[in-house]
Amino acid sequence: MNDLMPVAVFFGSIFTSNILLANYLGMCSFLSVSKEIETSAGLGAAVIFVMAVTTALNWLVYNYILLPLGLDYLRFIVFIVVIAGFVQLVEMIIERISEGLYAALGIFLPLITVNCAILGVSLFMVIRNYNFINSFFFGLGSGIGWFLAIMAMAGIRKKIAGSRIPRGLEGAGITLIIAGMMALAFMGFSGMINVT
Amino acid sequence: MSKTGFYAERIRPVVVTAVLTAICITLVSAFYLSTQDRVKENEGLVLKRAVLFAAGLNVPATNQGINELYESLVTEDNGVFTVKDTSGKPAAYAFIQTGPGLWGEIGAVIAFDSSLSQFAGVDFISQNETPGLGARITESWFKEQLRGKVPPLKMNPEGTESSAPSEIDAITGASRTSEYALSLFNRAGERAASLKGGN
Amino acid sequence: MAGKALKTFTAPLGKDNPVFVQILGICSTLAVTNNLKNTVVMVLGVMFTTTLSSFTFSLLRKVIPGRIRMIAETLIIATFVIIVDIVLRAFMPEIWQQLGPYVGLIITNCIVMGRMEAFAASNPPGLSLIDGLASGMGYAYVLVIIAFFRELLGSGSVWGFPLLGDWWTNWAIMIMPPGAFFMLAIFIWVVKGRSKE
Repeated sequence: MNDLMPVAVFFGSIFTSNILLANYLGMCSFLSVSKEIETSAGLGAAVIFVMAVTTALNWLVYNYILLPLGLDYLRFIVFIVVIAGFVQLVEMIIERISEGLYAALGIFLPLITVNCAILGVSLFMVIRNYNFINSFFFGLGSGIGWFLAIMAMAGIRKKIAGSRIPRGLEGAGITLIIAGMMALAFMGFSGMINVT
Repeated sequence: MSKTGFYAERIRPVVVTAVLTAICITLVSAFYLSTQDRVKENEGLVLKRAVLFAAGLNVPATNQGINELYESLVTEDNGVFTVKDTSGKPAAYAFIQTGPGLWGEIGAVIAFDSSLSQFAGVDFISQNETPGLGARITESWFKEQLRGKVPPLKMNPEGTESSAPSEIDAITGASRTSEYALSLFNRAGERAASLKGGN
Repeated sequence: MAGKALKTFTAPLGKDNPVFVQILGICSTLAVTNNLKNTVVMVLGVMFTTTLSSFTFSLLRKVIPGRIRMIAETLIIATFVIIVDIVLRAFMPEIWQQLGPYVGLIITNCIVMGRMEAFAASNPPGLSLIDGLASGMGYAYVLVIIAFFRELLGSGSVWGFPLLGDWWTNWAIMIMPPGAFFMLAIFIWVVKGRSKE
């Protein structure tokens, strides 16, 4: 029933409907973590991975378990449990197999459960009626979009670190203004891909 | 590990979680079931209102009025709603048409006149377009302009106004959504033409 | 006791405001404020959730073992959020549709869980109730102010009533994402600029 192409969903979710800049999701960790480039890269990478997998998992759970049983009204609880469980599992696996990876990603994983972008993507996928392939690419694209946005922000914040900013705008204020300008720039991408 | 330690460490968290989950789910389910009829009725009303509006009738202000008017004038057969006039003759045909939008699926009830060659009107029942821009497809000027137009439609450039029989005005700043709406209308036009062949 | 209750109540409204001081719950602050009516419904939902979640969690704080605290918090929050969702869907279907996923996202609104962790976990139910309600109100009035300006400038109306007339050209940017960022930044600037440290 859905004529949206996965490619369009993928690029759309990276650029035109960037999960952070157009849908405002994942702002809390975005504002606090974007001070440093390395931390941003770590968190961004973890978000891409978790978002792509949990969106696909939640699609399966929603369409094969919740809908047939008529329990779709429980989706908020179920989605968050799936996300929390998956994050916990990944943390355990990484901890056991690779110390380097754990040192790089491990500390970010608990942060992710409360990142509203992850749950948000799963909820959007239900509301927009995506099929499985589209859902996966939507999750992946949204993660990449989030990664791009936080990396760009971290870079800009590093550049302006020495600049003189009105006192009231220091910290959150200036970050929000930069985010606003980035949102404007990302809006320029709309119309880039034609879905017919 | 002592027995009480084992209980406090392993069993109690599981038991508490289970009990809490059970209570929460019972509570939520009770709420859901007690409002289910109302939700269904709301959804039905949205559809009925859309059919009446698309067919160009004055939609009553009360839910009861909508139900009564709908019962007296509209019959549904195989997804096609036939709207009769007061003398009992079919005055308009309507159906639900869905298609892609900028963010997700757009669903609309689109009505045609009794000859199936002119749009009678449209009402959107589901859309996720950008609030304030694409979402303006639900504003009345956008919906009203479809009445009496003949498919296939063309888009009028942004910022100009048209009264030509096969042109509609786009929404300023929402050219993508306008295009999706246009293709939705035109697909409905094709479906209407095929219905005409079938009759 | 009464003094503490008063302090608990006023802190989130001013110097510990969850939105412009602690920068929490920003997602929905930005997302739903493009029109006043949706915003009011949303903040009522959040106030309901923070108040009752804090209260419930505080009641249960001695029963719930530390290890499952997070899960228990999430469960309690999710239950109240689902109730809000169901009620909205049944009684205000149009607004429910417009708010889309943001009602569900109250679950991950940091304010709710933040207050449970920081306050309800170590305070009696009565005080937790006040704290939850005040935090919700601190969040609410910021959103309402932002929504008022965004709707006024972006659509020329307030609560859906056209206020500015035909001469006004709508600033479409105000109801789009960038406008949300700028508006919140300006709000924070004004508040911080006024407070002398």
